[in-house]
Amino acid sequence: MLKMTQMSTVLSIFVLFLRTTFGESGCTSADGDGTFVDDEPDNFDIDCFSQLEFKDSYSSLTCNFTELPPHNTNYTLALCTKEDGNYVCFNMEKQEEAYFLQFTDILSNKDICMDSETKRRVCRSLVVTDIVKPEVPFDINITYQKEANEYLIHYSTPHSWKKYLKDKLIHQIAYQKEGGTWKTIETPYLQIKLLGKNLENDASYEVKVRSQPNGDYFKGMWSEWSTSKSFRTAREQHSTESYNSMVVVIFSILGFMLSIVMIVLIITFWENRIKPAVWPKLPDHKKTLEQLCKKPKNNFDISFNPESFGYVHIHKVDGIRAKAELENFLQPSTALETNLTEKFRSGSDLRMNLAMTDKSNLNLSVTYGGIWPAEALHRLLGTNQFAVTEGNCSSSTYEVCHSNRVPLCDDGFNLSSTPLLDPSGLPGPESLNGDTTSQMVSTGEMRSPNNEEAYVTMSSFYKIQ
Amino acid sequence: LSHVMATTFFRSIFRVLPLLLLLSPVNSSSCAMGNRTTQIREKYENILSHDIDELVNMSAEYRDRCCKNKKHENSKVFFCNDTQEIESLQSMACNMLRFFHKQKISKDYRWKAALVSCGTLQVLQCKCERHKKDKVCMQVNTHNKDTEKSEQSKKKCNQEFCELKENISSLRSCWNKFEKIIFR
Repeated sequence: MLKMTQMSTVLSIFVLFLRTTFGESGCTSADGDGTFVDDEPDNFDIDCFSQLEFKDSYSSLTCNFTELPPHNTNYTLALCTKEDGNYVCFNMEKQEEAYFLQFTDILSNKDICMDSETKRRVCRSLVVTDIVKPEVPFDINITYQKEANEYLIHYSTPHSWKKYLKDKLIHQIAYQKEGGTWKTIETPYLQIKLLGKNLENDASYEVKVRSQPNGDYFKGMWSEWSTSKSFRTAREQHSTESYNSMVVVIFSILGFMLSIVMIVLIITFWENRIKPAVWPKLPDHKKTLEQLCKKPKNNFDISFNPESFGYVHIHKVDGIRAKAELENFLQPSTALETNLTEKFRSGSDLRMNLAMTDKSNLNLSVTYGGIWPAEALHRLLGTNQFAVTEGNCSSSTYEVCHSNRVPLCDDGFNLSSTPLLDPSGLPGPESLNGDTTSQMVSTGEMRSPNNEEAYVTMSSFYKIQ
Repeated sequence: LSHVMATTFFRSIFRVLPLLLLLSPVNSSSCAMGNRTTQIREKYENILSHDIDELVNMSAEYRDRCCKNKKHENSKVFFCNDTQEIESLQSMACNMLRFFHKQKISKDYRWKAALVSCGTLQVLQCKCERHKKDKVCMQVNTHNKDTEKSEQSKKKCNQEFCELKENISSLRSCWNKFEKIIFR
């Protein structure tokens, strides 16, 4: 009894063990014919390639025998997948010398199995993504870029609008001169440029393209060559180049000569014209005044040399006071005023400024030492004879009285105190320029004397300007 | 004596029964174990992600208002649990397979959805609890689709379509989440 119990226990355990081990072995076959997959390495020579997204979502597998089997024997190729211990196989369709199959699953590992009447099924592992053969490129366009002397070759591939191989291809462009040897260039892009200088002028060339997976994940082989496209290179490549180089040389020579001429001109006119314009000299008051106060006619002595005026009494003064009281003392003299207006039209601001400026606001800082000779004043002022005494402002000579806002002379209009506006001697502000000065001297010297006089100083000239 | 022998025999069997239960082949986890991160990443990045994008684009062809008014009372809600992304993807993929036979959904759409489901299971090396669903993958991977002329896409709005659409969206979101993990 005990023995029987032990035997049954051992038997149960043994059966259990067998079930456990064989249950996972996957020795069953889906077709149910009881045949087992032979795990022996491949002993049949076939070449296969896959084409992804061959039609819609389907991929394809194409195989052919490298060594043709005997004609008397019928062979069957099948693509098998192991799923859940089951071996699911799909027979490939024989098309002439090749075997063809459409399928959708490219993720699972597959086997290619060969069946024959005489032999057992022989299988070999197959990774569909490692034997990819892309589709043929098409639509080759060649455009000549004249300016750059380059030939732009553009082409298309069906994989541009598909999922898996988009931007994962390498393209090979082959070109040859008619009758020459093929040269190749590889690129991942859909266009390439051929330099014109590397091609012969006015020659006929032929171009074709093919593609291959770039190898990052998808591997495989080159596609078939595309349809060739011919083009002819430009004729005037060399002349264009020589023309461009000649233009460059001419412009270089002209530029060089121009620079030489400029240098000579600069050297020649440096001292006389360029340097004074670039580095103007500071005006010399003496000379400026001399220019302003052009040598008048009729014995007007204009000089800053005291020795020239030895015959007159010279009273040293500190400065010049410009009297703005012209309007109070001036006689309405249309002629003279008109003349004066004309003279000072361009610098009409002077009259206006003088008219508007209160004598108390005048701040004349220029020190002027000069006295008009009496004879000149007499001529200017007509019959008005003034007797001036020496030692004070009311002398026969006109003194330019100046102080720091304190008139040294009387405010009343008199020859000694009023600022002298001598159209001939002291022109308006614009006559700081020499031309106007001469004009004024020539035109206004002998005008009828006008009481509209004003002493205008250098500083007021500057201010007004 | 024979009676005693029979009794003894059955007793031994009954003792073995617990042993049988204990030693019975335990179904391994429905997804393959092991560190297959690189392989999963390559297959997802180069193949499966494109299929999922194409399926999502097909969903977008339907009107947006289609499923807004639909109440999915009986529909399952799938979550992409942290640290359990593979299991979550397996659940979603297996659930999507049941729509393969829903005639109210356009054939192209459900066929493509089944393709994505089978691809997900293949990449993750997972199985579904119900073996019947795996037969769908076998059917999908053949070219049976060509035997029936693909009808003009019926862009009808119905409950089942909305459930499938929501399932697809969940699957995509979970893959995006898992992608960030495996791409580290």
